[in-house]
Amino acid sequence: MNIELQKFGEFLTSRPAGREAFLILSENHLRNASVSEPIELDFKEVKVLAPSWADEVITPLAEKFSNVTLLNTENASVQATLKTLREYSGLKI
Amino acid sequence: MENLEEKARAWVVGDAKSALNLESEYYCQTRDVLQARTDRMTIMLLQNSRIDKNHAYVIGALISEIGNNSFDHNLGAWPDIPGAFFGYDITQDQKHIVLADRGQGMFATLKKVKPELQDDEEALKVAFTERISSRLPERRGNGLKYVRENIANLQLHLAFFSGNAMAELNEKMIVQKTDQNIRGCLAVLTFSDNVSK
Repeated sequence: MNIELQKFGEFLTSRPAGREAFLILSENHLRNASVSEPIELDFKEVKVLAPSWADEVITPLAEKFSNVTLLNTENASVQATLKTLREYSGLKI
Repeated sequence: MENLEEKARAWVVGDAKSALNLESEYYCQTRDVLQARTDRMTIMLLQNSRIDKNHAYVIGALISEIGNNSFDHNLGAWPDIPGAFFGYDITQDQKHIVLADRGQGMFATLKKVKPELQDDEEALKVAFTERISSRLPERRGNGLKYVRENIANLQLHLAFFSGNAMAELNEKMIVQKTDQNIRGCLAVLTFSDNVSK
């Protein structure tokens, strides 16, 4: 399953917005997904990714599903936020 | 150029009655207003300066982290005036972005989950270096570490005041006592085209 994060906006910031995105993903996209379902989180067209938003979406998805991959992560704010999550939130992907 | 830092400082240290008179162009009563203005500032950085676009996006993210902290830690518990000050001057070579709130401040916020904290200086050190959340068991506490690392990576300068302490961040971080008590938080980000390109 490919999830285009840009559909939540080009500027992905704040915990409340991240929490809302996670609820929508859980309800609309992943409700019937198995733990091993391949999930691609696609950052294409995302301009700003802040750790608060990402920690409410990417961290729990990576904890819940065993086969999560990240696509189009070249943007510097995406790279910097993923580095922070790996260092401080235990993100393993 | 209007001195944004002085304006923000006057707002955070002044009495509540005078604080109510802050111009609407700087006052963000709710998170949504602050977020919309932060996004707009990021777009303006891209349009009006010679800064590398990837740097502009990271600056947008770290300003968002600092600003959202004001609401994350004070929502429902503002001592008097809710919301944040947000102002910026990004038209000159030397750019300034200023955020402030009249919240509880870093020491009071972090002491709830780390009672052994002694003072404002220690609270700032912990806030920028340790993963600590003032809203346990929620997952939180990585935003200011992100800020510190990217201030260093992009060669920016941040002065962050709370209580009687200031953290000065660039390639390293120095925390020291200050004479003036900042009741909440005051953050001044400074950078130039030269060091950001």
